[in-house]
Amino acid sequence: MASKAIFSTLRRSLTKPHGGAVSRRHHLSTTSAATASEPYPGDEHAIVMKGVRISGRPLYLDMQSTTPLDPRVFDAMNASSIYDYGNPHSRTHLYGWEAENAVEVARIQVAKLIGASPKEIVFLSGATEANNTVVKGVMHFYKDKKRHVITTQTEHKCVLDSCRHLQQEGFEVTYLPVKTDGLVDLEMLREAIRLDTGLVSVMAVNNEIGVVQPMEEIGRICKEHKIPFHTDAAQAIGKIPVDVEKWNVSFMSMSGHKIYGPKGVGAMYVRRRPRVRLEPLMNGGGQERGLRSGTLATQQVVGFGVACELAMKEMEYDEKWIKRLQERLLNGVREKLDGVVVNGSLESRYAGNLNLSFAYVEGESLLMGLKEVAVSSGSACTSASLEPSYVLRALGVDEDMAHTSIRFGIGRFTTEEEIDKAVELTVKQVEKLREMSPLYEMVKEGIDIKNIQWSQH
Amino acid sequence: MVDKGPVISLCRSLLRAGHQYPDYNIREYAKRRTLEGFRMNKNLTDHSKVEEAYAEGKKQLEVVERVVKVYLAYPPRTKNIMELKLQ
Repeated sequence: MASKAIFSTLRRSLTKPHGGAVSRRHHLSTTSAATASEPYPGDEHAIVMKGVRISGRPLYLDMQSTTPLDPRVFDAMNASSIYDYGNPHSRTHLYGWEAENAVEVARIQVAKLIGASPKEIVFLSGATEANNTVVKGVMHFYKDKKRHVITTQTEHKCVLDSCRHLQQEGFEVTYLPVKTDGLVDLEMLREAIRLDTGLVSVMAVNNEIGVVQPMEEIGRICKEHKIPFHTDAAQAIGKIPVDVEKWNVSFMSMSGHKIYGPKGVGAMYVRRRPRVRLEPLMNGGGQERGLRSGTLATQQVVGFGVACELAMKEMEYDEKWIKRLQERLLNGVREKLDGVVVNGSLESRYAGNLNLSFAYVEGESLLMGLKEVAVSSGSACTSASLEPSYVLRALGVDEDMAHTSIRFGIGRFTTEEEIDKAVELTVKQVEKLREMSPLYEMVKEGIDIKNIQWSQH
Repeated sequence: MVDKGPVISLCRSLLRAGHQYPDYNIREYAKRRTLEGFRMNKNLTDHSKVEEAYAEGKKQLEVVERVVKVYLAYPPRTKNIMELKLQ
């Protein structure tokens, strides 16, 4: 934009015959050049995108929305993309056999991570598809006898939306409230179970607040009442120890791109003993035990398998490292700032997800100021709307605190220096905003904000 | 039986190869993970375990060298803020 203005003024000044006017316009053009497009010293790497200028690529602290591809996964996918191009479902030639082999190896790798048998794993396009297939498929299969679904208010949008779709079809859904620390109340779960309950769906690790639900207890309750238990473990696998036998789950949704694998692939665990049936969402040639027809994307599946194997090997080391970084982040922020609230239980939590609320600060302006740190407020699914996240609302967080929540996602590749830098930038931005905030001044003087009578103008 | 010499030279090769990654996070992770990997297996006495760990290290070296070539073939588009500040 600025360069166009410069060129047009230059062109005009060169074609005009008057000397005085030309020199004045020359001055104009050079000053506009200096203010608009000449980079500051040392700012050659600045990126200007969507009207924002940042001095370099921001540091990535949004591991819950997606994770970068691990180089070892990338390596395995490359080899597979080049050579395993056969259709894994072609039984008649070597190309099909090789591709099928690769898929079966991946299946074993995924199954080992969750303690299941490879025959119980179904590959599909992601955790969203798995959630949809299970919630709708199970209820449609048992629609004559079972008309009730139990889920929580903090589930992922795809589960809640599938339940809403079921409600429109005539099923009944109970959305269990959660306690203020984000955990499900087991007594309420017991009370909500009816004779015609067909499915209980509780996610293992919440993507927004990071709390880990009491899976074993919920599994025990479901086993008592013989109800299939579904869990969305997209954020849990590879991060906390997952065992389908201990948790007594009948269905589990897994996603590739949350464990340093490729996007566009996921898996569904469907228990075989005792057998649970479900109606497939994708009909066709009967691939994947008839539960998900369609040709498998071999290299994506191979990548997912390698990512799962890596996650199993690296789980201990990653957990130690991420816990250390989480403590560093929390202590660093708490040392310099007061009024920092951790949303969700601090004990029953996955260390890599830290959701903080800063009191007396406005959320959007905090995010705008934190342009050098890639974080998110609320989940990626809800960040388009300006409403505060429904998960925080379910926790009972006040509207103003819900608006200022920031979710820091720490992962395998995060470094200590990045955490220090994130702490520094956050503290600086929060202090700057609080300095400008009249509410903070009032609080410092000792006025209780909740008892103020705001007058109408 | 693997002697100390080849193990140290393997460690050095892994560190040198991992240092070439253009991406800041992966580069730091490669360094950290290599050192941690060798530190963890420092006190192994069982011969077969030592051989196993050494073979694993060699395999990882092959992977890193291959992957680094591909990563370098696509130069990064922008500089990471952490790299700018370190200058």
